[in-house]
Amino acid sequence: MKQKIIIILLLLTTTIMLNAQITQRGFVRTYLGALTEDGHYSILQNTFDWRLDYGKGDVGLYVNPVFNYDGLSKDLNISLRQAYFDIFFDNFDLRIGKQQIIWGKADGVFITDVIAPRNLSEFILPDFEEIRIGINALKLDYYIGNATIEAVWIPTFQPTILPDKNSIWYPKIAEFPAPVTFDYSNATVEQKLSESEAALKYSYLGSAIDFELMTAYIWDDNPAMHIYPFFTSGNLQPDSLIIKPEYHRLPLVGTNFSKSIFGAVLRGEAAYYFDKNFSAEDLTVNGIKEKDYIHYLVGYDHNWFGVNVSFQFIQEYILDYEDDIRNDEFSNTATFLASKTFINETLELSLFSYFGVNNGDALLRPKLSYDISDGFNILFGANIFIGDEGNFGQYDDNDMVYLKIKYNF
Amino acid sequence: MKKITLMLLTLLTIGSMLSAQKITGLKIIENVYNRPAGEDQTADLTMSLINSRGDKRVREIKQFLKDSGNMEKKIMFFVAPADVYNTSFMNWSYEKAGKDDNQWIYLPALKRVKRISSDSKSDYFMGSDFTYDDLGDRQPTDDTHKLLREEEIDGKMCYVVESIPKEEEYMYSKTITWIVKDNWIGKKKDFYDEDEDLLKTLTIKESKVIKDYIIITLSIMHNVQSDHKTIMKLENIKIDSGISDNKFTERMMKRGI
Repeated sequence: MKQKIIIILLLLTTTIMLNAQITQRGFVRTYLGALTEDGHYSILQNTFDWRLDYGKGDVGLYVNPVFNYDGLSKDLNISLRQAYFDIFFDNFDLRIGKQQIIWGKADGVFITDVIAPRNLSEFILPDFEEIRIGINALKLDYYIGNATIEAVWIPTFQPTILPDKNSIWYPKIAEFPAPVTFDYSNATVEQKLSESEAALKYSYLGSAIDFELMTAYIWDDNPAMHIYPFFTSGNLQPDSLIIKPEYHRLPLVGTNFSKSIFGAVLRGEAAYYFDKNFSAEDLTVNGIKEKDYIHYLVGYDHNWFGVNVSFQFIQEYILDYEDDIRNDEFSNTATFLASKTFINETLELSLFSYFGVNNGDALLRPKLSYDISDGFNILFGANIFIGDEGNFGQYDDNDMVYLKIKYNF
Repeated sequence: MKKITLMLLTLLTIGSMLSAQKITGLKIIENVYNRPAGEDQTADLTMSLINSRGDKRVREIKQFLKDSGNMEKKIMFFVAPADVYNTSFMNWSYEKAGKDDNQWIYLPALKRVKRISSDSKSDYFMGSDFTYDDLGDRQPTDDTHKLLREEEIDGKMCYVVESIPKEEEYMYSKTITWIVKDNWIGKKKDFYDEDEDLLKTLTIKESKVIKDYIIITLSIMHNVQSDHKTIMKLENIKIDSGISDNKFTERMMKRGI
């Protein structure tokens, strides 16, 4: 069946190319990763990422099929990362179709960048272009000088993809006082107009400052885990629990800025989320408490003696906090990036790291990348998890080294 | 007769010396800096990077530039190699001394325009032998200039000017520039490193007159210490074609070529 799909795609593309001028770009990549603890391969992927671009006058078409062969499961997956039309007018542009919409000024952190859901099946380790899922949307950008007003309408909800239960990236779940079973019957959002999502952003780019103001009426990409306890008569403790994941609306307002100061760049980003559903121990409210929530970041980028350095401090704060909420009232994270190129930018050494302040955990991501020739690159890297708990410490057994060989065309 | 000839020669020499004394190193560099180059420019830029083994890598860029007197805006769209296709870089630089440039980069993979640190002028541009500062217009007042001598290169009489940066931590200890006397075009420039050893030599190989402006179209930067060269070629040049201010916006950075 899959072979047929490939043949049909190839035929279709060839036919179109014979009739119109299409630009073809993309890459072919081999990606091999092994766990350092036992040497087992955790990743063996061969990817063909194909980007077809057609433009005629004020209309454009972009299609990005991705063919991914998993050498461990022997599965060939074919997907469309993006497929959209562009229509350009004098003062505004329209983009219609499956697209990745990225907002915000944060690096590796999602604060006002809430439009595109994420594929977290391999945690946050893939390239960010591959983490973000394309969504079916209509996007309108209206331009006034150096300012842009962007309106987005997403007719159907696409949730974040979480790791499979058998995956090494499946997150540790909280301890419960009784055996747990999952019921996914509520974990859907109806595909109808009233369930669609909308977002609006004003952005300005100028010599003094760049800033954005945004608001969105969306669904929380992560489901809330509603807990239903079952008691035998006379027992105070439940005999069993049923967890029903359910998606909820998540309205928010946000802002961000970046500004040059003495040759460096100072960045900030903040969002206020209304009535976010948090997991709690109180089973009388089915383990869910709705609280307003603030998520913000300050960042600083500088070039010191030829080394690009970037720091970010991120804080999440739950307002009107109650002690039985499973998340901390304040969650603090810091990131650090240092990168330097050598030999006329053919060799790059970089380190990106996350530090979870609350749990004393961390993720260190050193990389060494070398351009063998134009477009042909080899990359060695490692993902080192430190700690016992927290976002990163929970994966302490998943330290890995990897190799990527990539040819761009 | 001999006396008259001797007198004439003496007068000519004195005249020439007086005229040479009139012009200073600073004035020569100011003339180069203020040489008209049009209000806007569109061009295809090709940089060929050649290492000591002769291996060649090619970078292709489409660039747009607009000078509105107190501010110069430049936007570059990277065409090749394939891994940087449709990356764009925008720079706004200011006439006002001491005011830092504003720089942004758009990476198609990240899908957002990011303001970047402009404190990286000593970084090499796209792996070439040109730093960001080499490619910009360095203000004459940033250096102390001294006219060393006049000499001929490729049949052109040139002023030879030594420029020593006022900033102590600057990447070059000094530069020496050969400037053609009759049109204020640089012909050659030597860059000296912090140890005052010769680091790089820029040679202007070709310039063209386009709409009455002299535009450098072919130059070679040779790093003599690493024996790495960059050949920079400008083609399809258009001057004063009336580029709109809208070209230098976030919209265009994202839209690409």
